Amino acid sequence: MSNLKETILNPILKGNPITVLILGICSSLAVTVELKGAIVMALSVTIVTGLSSYVCSLLRKTIPNRVRIIVQLVVVALMVIVVDQFLKAYSYTIEKQLSVYIGLIITNCIVMGRIEAYALGNKPLPSLLDGLANGLGYGIILVIVAFFRELFGSGTLFGVPVLSAIGYTNNGLVILPPFALILLGCIIWIQRSIQKDLQEK
Amino acid sequence: MNTNSNTYTVIYTTLVCVLVAAILAFVSQVLKPKQEANEKAETVSQILTAAQFGSKSEWQAMGNDAVLKFYKENAAQAIVINAAGEKVKDLSVEKIEIYSTSDLKAQNYNVKDGSKMGEAQLPVYIFSNGISVIPIYGAGLWGPVWGYIALKPDLHSIVGAYFDHESETPGLGGKIKDDPSFRAEFEGKSIDYSDEKPFRIVKGGAPAGKANAIDAISGATMTTNGLAAAIVNWLKAYRGYLESGSSAAAGNACTESVCETATEE
Amino acid sequence: MNKVFEKGGKLYWLHSTVDAFETFLHVPGTVTAKGCHVRDAVDLKRIMIIAVLAAVPAAIFGMWNVGYQHALATGTDANVWQAFWFGFLKVLPLFVVSYAVGLAIEFASAQIRGEEVNEGYLVSGFFIPLIVPVDIPLWMLAVAVAFAVIFGKEVFGGTGMNIWNPALLTRAFLFFSYPNDMSGSQTWIALRKGETLVDGATGATPLSFVADGGMDALQNAGVQYGTGFWDMFIGAIPGSVGETSVIAILIGAFILIWTNVASWKIMLSTVLGGLFVGGLAQLCGGTDIPCLYHLVMGGFAFGAVFMATDPVTSAQTECGKWIYGFFIGAVCVIIRLFNPGYAEGMMLAILLGNTFAPLFDYMVVERHISGKNKKVKVA
Repeated sequence: MSNLKETILNPILKGNPITVLILGICSSLAVTVELKGAIVMALSVTIVTGLSSYVCSLLRKTIPNRVRIIVQLVVVALMVIVVDQFLKAYSYTIEKQLSVYIGLIITNCIVMGRIEAYALGNKPLPSLLDGLANGLGYGIILVIVAFFRELFGSGTLFGVPVLSAIGYTNNGLVILPPFALILLGCIIWIQRSIQKDLQEK
Repeated sequence: MNTNSNTYTVIYTTLVCVLVAAILAFVSQVLKPKQEANEKAETVSQILTAAQFGSKSEWQAMGNDAVLKFYKENAAQAIVINAAGEKVKDLSVEKIEIYSTSDLKAQNYNVKDGSKMGEAQLPVYIFSNGISVIPIYGAGLWGPVWGYIALKPDLHSIVGAYFDHESETPGLGGKIKDDPSFRAEFEGKSIDYSDEKPFRIVKGGAPAGKANAIDAISGATMTTNGLAAAIVNWLKAYRGYLESGSSAAAGNACTESVCETATEE
Repeated sequence: MNKVFEKGGKLYWLHSTVDAFETFLHVPGTVTAKGCHVRDAVDLKRIMIIAVLAAVPAAIFGMWNVGYQHALATGTDANVWQAFWFGFLKVLPLFVVSYAVGLAIEFASAQIRGEEVNEGYLVSGFFIPLIVPVDIPLWMLAVAVAFAVIFGKEVFGGTGMNIWNPALLTRAFLFFSYPNDMSGSQTWIALRKGETLVDGATGATPLSFVADGGMDALQNAGVQYGTGFWDMFIGAIPGSVGETSVIAILIGAFILIWTNVASWKIMLSTVLGGLFVGGLAQLCGGTDIPCLYHLVMGGFAFGAVFMATDPVTSAQTECGKWIYGFFIGAVCVIIRLFNPGYAEGMMLAILLGNTFAPLFDYMVVERHISGKNKKVKVA
């Protein structure tokens, strides 16, 4: 049981894919301008990592070793396209806003990384949880970054004026991708000053 | 079983591919109508917003079906014209035949290139209150920008406009879509073909009293330049049509209000 | 130092602040315990003071120019002293904010780290008001200074460890954060509330005319100030506070070179880089702007003399300095001529130069080593 708890909590805190493993940085710079988009992206990645880990874990004993990566890629691509199609049908404006980045989940290192590192050696249920937890760990950081970027960049939250309602001047730099990198740096800074064992010598 | 034999590998990968393809085909089939309706409703709502029938958020709240129904009830006719201004064919209002963004992109190759101008086939959406809407399309800073300009029956006074973009910087270039005050600047302006550029977006502020110019968005030079070029290119392509219309209106020597009632009948 | 501030004393936690003020007035009392050592009267503090002194002519001219431009644009009369006084009152708050915010952060972070306060910010704090438009809102300046000092300097370990020039980082932050207040034709002229420009007056800088329509636009600008080469050389034109007058900057350059504080190699190679690209573009018909104009327009001169030569962020090897300077001058003119989005490229060019400076040094050192190795082999 404690093992299961570890599987879920580790990717969110001590083994966070973004702040500790430094994976998935590219998309976290691109889709964090607005909170709404970031949340949809976070959910999409969570679903894709969870389901593809699950499916690959189911298939793990049948996959020929030589074409392992290709088969994994096909499974991931399937999930991503299905998610994209659903967004197009039921959340058209957000899909338009996220544009290519939904499709680029395929190349998100977190997805393939978890399949290779975990799903191929573990039973389906833990793999599903591991995938979901990693997606969540990614998503939480995405949402934190997007919160600050939307608040200070556009003065709004979920499109509702918050700071701009009280006369805040929008900051153009916060909207540009480099600022996401600075915010990520701050999050990593804070995390490592709390969890001292993460500090490198 | 030996999962590493050649036969097994080939059969396995083939099976996986076929299976995945089948799933994707199924999902795509099921969701296609909904996606197409989304896309169409989006385009229609942009046209309607440009023509000042309502705001973009209102259309979004109404839902796809209501938007399309509104278009059917209020559009008088939709036609396709060529660069000379002659009507080439009709678009069915009942079936909501409209040019999608990718259709506009295809036409943009003709519009941009002066020598191919003759091949251009451009849509005009005419509403029963006399307002005509024409599209524009071009390159912004990071990706395409497009939009719609609505004109009064005299075909040179601008009623309103709506712009959209694929990937302009939010808060800077993205303002062409998100900043209502930028769009509002178009209202009451007019197209002037006697000017070298029939419409101008001026960096640092349009001179007062110039009817065919508006202020650029500061901090978004490249996007506004791209948008201005798109507007100029497409207005040039529509010149034949717009001038024939406006000269006819001038020939009637009627005031605008009389013209409007005349077209409404 | 007073006993209470020494290790074990009651107010030990304040020691770095006290130390900062103490060494500001006295030469530090510490000497090496063993062996002989050479002591030069020129320490970090003296170097910093000279750098500030060198920028004083540009600052004074800038203050006068602020008043002069204001008088021209509003159609009022002002003699030299009135113009200077007007500009002085406008620019002084910029200095106050720049120093107050920057030094507060410097002292705070030195306290946190338990190190001595470094004087590096004395120079940056003096340069910052000179490279921003005079009408920049003070709170924006405060935010930008805080950002630049924290993220440009303190996170890397304070003075001497920073990758980028903190003053330019302040400007870059403002430039990208608040483009409305950092560019365009409204920002460069100081106006009091309720004042309006007289007909035909504009706050547009020569660079923005050039960016919009090349040489024709500059010559037919029809502005209240002159736009010829010598007008821009003297510097009675709109622009950031301290960047307009090439004469004042040359006086500063003379002081810096004479006292050996800044590298003449960087200044010269920056000018050469600018002339090279400007001249090449002119020859190939890419532009009609004479390459000499690039040296007197915008922030080129100020950047080449005061910003690119910052000893911390520039290249360290002698050969590297040539490459570094040439690179900055070339990139600056490339941005000016070929990037329609930005009228001015000096800030971006120097920041990029800062980024690459360690690489230039590395290349030079590696080449040197491999050259030596070859000689050894031959022998």
